[in-house]
Amino acid sequence: MRRTLHYDAVVVGAGVAGLTAAARLAESGARVCVLAKGVGSTHLAPGTVDVLGYEPDGSEPPRRVDSPARALPAFVAERTDHPYALLGVDSIRPALEWFAERIEHGPQQGYRYLGEMERNHLLPTAVGAARPSALVPETMAAGDLRGTGPICVVGLHPLRDLWASLCAANIVRLGVEARAVEVGLDVDRPDENALGLARRFEDPGFRRTFADRLAPQLRDDERVALPAVLGVRDPHGVWSELETWLGRPVFEIPTVPPSVPGMRVSDALRAALRAAGGRLVVGAEVGGAERDGERVTALQAHTAGRDTTYAARWVVLATGGFNSGALALGSDWVVRETVLGLPVRGAPAPGARRFVPEYFGEQPMSRVGVAVDPNQRAEGLENVIVAGAALPGAEPWREGSGEGIAITSGHRAAELVRAEEGLGAAV
Amino acid sequence: MAGLSTDVLVIGGGATGAGVAWDAALRGLHVVLADRADLGEGTSGRFHGLLHSGGRYVVKDPLAAEECIAENRILRRIAADCIEDTGGLFVTTPSDDPAYAERFAEGCRATGVDCEEVEPAEVLREEPRLHPGISRAFRVPDANIDAWKTAWALARGAHERSGARVLPYHAAEAIHRRGDQVVGARLRDVRTGDELEVEARVTVNATGAWAGRIAGLAGIEGVRVLPGRGIMIAMNHRLVNTVVNRCQMPTDGDILVPIRTVCVMGTTDVHTDDPDDQTVAEDEVQAMLEDGERLVPGFRRARALRVWTGVRPLFQDTKEGVASTRDVTRAHTLLDHAERDGVGGFVTITGGKLTTFRLMAEETVDAVCRHLGEERPCTTATEPLPGSEDGEHYMLGERLARREDGLLDDQLVCECELVTRRKLEEAMRRRGTSNLDDFRRVLRLGMGPCQGGFCMYRAAGIMHGLDGMSAEQANAALLGFLVERWKGVWPILYGDQLRQARLDDWIFQGVLDVGHLRE
Amino acid sequence: MTEVLHELLRGSLDHCVKCTICETACPFSNATPLFPGPKYAGPQAERYRVEDEPSVEWSVDYCSGCGICTQVCPQGVKIAELNAQARHKRKQESGVPLRDRLIARPTVLGRLGTPVAPLANATLRSRPFRAAVERAFGVHRDAPVPRFAGRTFRSFARRHSSPPASRRVVYFHGCGTEYYEPDVGEKTVAVLEHNGFQVEIPKQGCCGLPLQSNGLFDDARKYVLRLARALAPQARDGALIVGNATSCTLMLKREAREILGLADDPELKLVSERTYDVCELLLELHDRGELKTHMQPVNEVVAYHAPCQQQGHWIGKPALELLDLVPGLEVRELDARCCGIAGTYGLKREKYDIAMATGADLFRQIGASQAGSVACDSETCRWQIEHATNKPSAHPIELLHRAYGLPPAGADSKRSTLRGVMTRNVERVRNRART
Ligand SMILES: Cc1cc2nc3c(=O)[nH]c(=O)nc-3n(C[C@H](O)[C@H](O)[C@H](O)COP(=O)(O)OP(=O)(O)OC[C@H]3O[C@@H](n4cnc5c(N)ncnc54)[C@H](O)[C@@H]3O)c2cc1C
Ligand SMILES: Cc1cc2nc3c(=O)[nH]c(=O)nc-3n(C[C@H](O)[C@H](O)[C@H](O)COP(=O)(O)OP(=O)(O)OC[C@H]3O[C@@H](n4cnc5c(N)ncnc54)[C@H](O)[C@@H]3O)c2cc1C
Repeated sequence: MRRTLHYDAVVVGAGVAGLTAAARLAESGARVCVLAKGVGSTHLAPGTVDVLGYEPDGSEPPRRVDSPARALPAFVAERTDHPYALLGVDSIRPALEWFAERIEHGPQQGYRYLGEMERNHLLPTAVGAARPSALVPETMAAGDLRGTGPICVVGLHPLRDLWASLCAANIVRLGVEARAVEVGLDVDRPDENALGLARRFEDPGFRRTFADRLAPQLRDDERVALPAVLGVRDPHGVWSELETWLGRPVFEIPTVPPSVPGMRVSDALRAALRAAGGRLVVGAEVGGAERDGERVTALQAHTAGRDTTYAARWVVLATGGFNSGALALGSDWVVRETVLGLPVRGAPAPGARRFVPEYFGEQPMSRVGVAVDPNQRAEGLENVIVAGAALPGAEPWREGSGEGIAITSGHRAAELVRAEEGLGAAV
Repeated sequence: MAGLSTDVLVIGGGATGAGVAWDAALRGLHVVLADRADLGEGTSGRFHGLLHSGGRYVVKDPLAAEECIAENRILRRIAADCIEDTGGLFVTTPSDDPAYAERFAEGCRATGVDCEEVEPAEVLREEPRLHPGISRAFRVPDANIDAWKTAWALARGAHERSGARVLPYHAAEAIHRRGDQVVGARLRDVRTGDELEVEARVTVNATGAWAGRIAGLAGIEGVRVLPGRGIMIAMNHRLVNTVVNRCQMPTDGDILVPIRTVCVMGTTDVHTDDPDDQTVAEDEVQAMLEDGERLVPGFRRARALRVWTGVRPLFQDTKEGVASTRDVTRAHTLLDHAERDGVGGFVTITGGKLTTFRLMAEETVDAVCRHLGEERPCTTATEPLPGSEDGEHYMLGERLARREDGLLDDQLVCECELVTRRKLEEAMRRRGTSNLDDFRRVLRLGMGPCQGGFCMYRAAGIMHGLDGMSAEQANAALLGFLVERWKGVWPILYGDQLRQARLDDWIFQGVLDVGHLRE
Repeated sequence: MTEVLHELLRGSLDHCVKCTICETACPFSNATPLFPGPKYAGPQAERYRVEDEPSVEWSVDYCSGCGICTQVCPQGVKIAELNAQARHKRKQESGVPLRDRLIARPTVLGRLGTPVAPLANATLRSRPFRAAVERAFGVHRDAPVPRFAGRTFRSFARRHSSPPASRRVVYFHGCGTEYYEPDVGEKTVAVLEHNGFQVEIPKQGCCGLPLQSNGLFDDARKYVLRLARALAPQARDGALIVGNATSCTLMLKREAREILGLADDPELKLVSERTYDVCELLLELHDRGELKTHMQPVNEVVAYHAPCQQQGHWIGKPALELLDLVPGLEVRELDARCCGIAGTYGLKREKYDIAMATGADLFRQIGASQAGSVACDSETCRWQIEHATNKPSAHPIELLHRAYGLPPAGADSKRSTLRGVMTRNVERVRNRART
């Protein structure tokens, strides 16, 4: 007996792109299995859906985008290699709508995303810079720096990943009145990670004590900024209760990783996948494939003891970029796609500059990805569709486009498979 | 303008200058020690980390070997806490001339460098990652030495013993002469721009590769220092726990030094005209990695953290009619400018090795005393540095042990190098600097695998809260650190470190969006 | 050999980007500040460890070895395995208490308790006795201890002969089945036979996992190699090895080779490659359309908890998919991480409270799920769950057994009726509540 399982589609990667593609496919009736070496960047990224925040145009720092919807047509016209050019600007909106619905109907009751492509929110970061974002969790929306009211940034002692005084001081530099306060928490340890705190905030007694300590320190018209730790299973409940108790807008500021809002996204998409009958295998690293001409027929996953073969009609490769190990630059300066050994695109030519000495400059090694055709198919393969950070052509951390590309390309990958397979519309 | 008056002004706060300050302080002299940057930010902080046994020089330069082993034995006593007794090996790999081993063993006998031949199998048991084709191996008393810790211990000792003033970030801008006598210098605080006049009975030029320039300020000609730059690459963890040298005529890329949590591969030697040249050439990187493979197969796949460049001070006396007999030894150069140039109150010390800084300092302060016309014997060979009184060597597990003790009551700021909040705040208060790179050197803050990815935001936040510092200053500190570290990162960015760098990009440019703090 | 392995594990620390995902997922560091977390104890501390320096870490003993960190790590760092090495070194230097040596040997306990099961069970549930044991040995008085079945699975296996079939499997039953839950073993055999397998049950012992997790590496090596020798001949003949204890099968598949440095042992390698979790095997059968899916409805709500070591197989949650096949059965997947017991961890006096705090999230979820019972693949986890929630639990295979309408197990056990496993387990829990 050979360790083999058969699926309509195997999705490699459990980041936003992979989970989106997988859930969407499962919803349309496909037998889907997600294979992931570990969890995705969801657990690290702030959980906001940035579609286009900046237009790197040579000016330093890059120019801010107020309306992605308005900026995108020109943006892609100038950058024909960009993922948005490949995906088509029109495919963004339906993907975002799909995503927002999954969150809204997800396991975190009442939790929603707000915003649209017409106008970016402008949210303070943990250091107090202003970051543009299209879709944001309801728990962050009140932080918009164009909104009214001074801001009180609340530091939580055992958390190392948001420093209230620096954050507030920089918000002031942006022309918004702000100050910082510290609230001690009854936590039995000097350091507590964001998720640990989020779990504690889910305990009504804990958050009541917190609110009681904070309330007397607040001034009349202030909005309250908290690190993004307001619950992971019931963020809406935690957040809205705090708003009620404190009698004012409360908002979260994303912390340095790990990221609780990102985990909420992961949980919601996983739930959608499971509800639609899809499988998820975390811990299984894909390390090779069986091919038949231009088709991949099966993937080899490292499982305990020995490999397991996952046969599939379609493969969605959503393995991320350099930071997830899907791409690797060798000390010989050659870029390799590590999962299936696919051709890459966008790497600087041998001998050309890989990086520039200016840290904030555009790094030539940024835009590398798996070479694809207009239908996101990996070069030379009929049934391998690439999505997310594995696509070439973007510099998402400078553009503020990571999640937008991930959701749109994951969603479109599912649409492409659906069209080919003649599958029904999503439920 | 502020002013100071002292017996000895030492310009240059590397190991040598700090050593001169300590030596002079022990002899009861009052000292001012100034460096244009942080202590140990010159060659001393950009070296390979090796406390030489002398083994490297037994064939090529026996005198240097004798000096090294003598100083090695002394430093193990007086600077015990700055030294980790890793021991060293000389191994004949398949790439090395097997005949050298005999000459090496003979050289050790002749120079008195302790050396014991060991079975290759035994070596491979101890150091399983080494090349399995090693044919011969010798044990020598190499060790590693922390230059920053040493420089600061020397400076602190000088302050404690005779009130020495230690002035980092004070560059010598002019050297004052009154006729044939050097009488002091004008320093400038490079952070504030403030000037400081120092009047000194004797001025010591201990600026290593920069010594020619400083001598020039005193109007002295022909002190030509040809900087030779070399690169070193720090690997993410210790691939070896013993210093490993290839048993061959000294050349490039033949030593792997375990120091603290990393091990360092080096080095190269390329002549340059500018001591501030910090170029990391592509071919040098490749050569280092190839050499790494010769010692540890698979080296290229291991994680490289950071690369840096140091410049050797190679002295060449171009003054006409001056014979090279002034060389006290071939390894370092002491110029008594009274003798050489007829200029009193001024001494230059350059060249040498970090391992021999104490000897260089001793000879320098001997010359200083001659200038002062005073007889003051040197005691640095027996007097332990602050922190080394108990004679115990540093152990790698020390920080972990300390952390375990504080697990329940202190925050960890830099997780890679186990720097706690209390330690950091204490250092911030003590140093009163807003340069996060200074804490990197003294505490190893941000020196580990993530290169500050997780701790630099924390450190900036803590600093801002601590001193009521302005947001602009904290931002500048954070951005400055990022820009500075990138220099040491991008030339060797591949493999695992690129994964890290990409995550760090996401943290700083995505989550925090620090780039737009520049607006 | 050990060096090569060390290389493998230590080398993996280079992949760590400090992202902290492991620390958010770690069930234990989130329950106690005494364990600073897998990133700290693993890739971080490893950079400070030198062979010839003494271990300075007391905190690593508070890692339970559950392996969740390795599973969630997106970068492929062998975190739990590094921690296990560090724990081993620590224990070697500081000594392993008698208690740990005892509770790490289920075969010894089982052989002692089985013949005198009623007495042993009563004694183990006597408060004064447990208080005395806690004082003398450090086994917490409230910690869940299983009931000796009073008969061994072996006694069934000796009598039982599997009908010949084209597919042969070797059944690896583990110590839990042998001494405490022979019923589960009988049902596993029945379900396999029902699906056309001929089941062979060679004489076998403990896999050594409890010894390994208590830092007793040398003994663990002996145990696991002995077991590998017992299972290898059939494996060599082409049979698959199937187990129902997910921790023990993981030991065979991976942990012994990675943690104990036995990567090169040819027999263990063979056994490791051919070992299956029973649900994994059945799911594969189903994938090929060969699993019998004619089942009776089971109109119940059951909560499913995938134990940590099950997740370490990196095969997803096959039990979940199998249970989905049962008509009428409503399965609630729980996403809490861990029940806290981690084999023997939660038995220890100094760790019992930590274990209960670790499991609190799971227990709360079970309570909120409105499920009548809990399905879980690992026996020690089931005991802990029953102890903490007073809800009956079952191995997923027991539910399949029931859905297939197979004859009851434990012919000599009068309490077993067609009402099935749930009722029996309810009783078991009630009994315990009474004592
Ligand atoms: C710290 C951080 C901050 C971010 N901040 C922002 C932000 O502010 N705004 C924004 O828009 N975006 C941000 N992003 C990016 C955003 O999360 C992107 O959506 C993401 O990087 C791309 O998602 P993905 O699904 O393509 O890949 P990932 O989320 O990286 O997922 C890759 C998946 O592939 C798996 N995988 C890799 N190799 C294998 C293999 N061989 N076998 C099996 N599985 C494998 C991994 O385990 C993982 O599950 C941030 C990302 C990070 C890491
Ligand atoms: C690549 C390399 C590897 C090496 N490895 C080793 C080794 O492993 N072991 C060993 O023993 N030796 C080693 N050496 C040699 C050793 O590092 C040097 O010999 C030693 O550090 C020199 O110390 P120093 O104090 O004389 O010079 P430096 O440390 O360079 O000190 C000179 C100081 O002068 C300061 N300065 C310059 N201009 C001014 C000014 N205008 N005003 C004030 N201050 C000024 C500089 O900032 C600097 O801090 C290595 C050298 C190199 C280049």
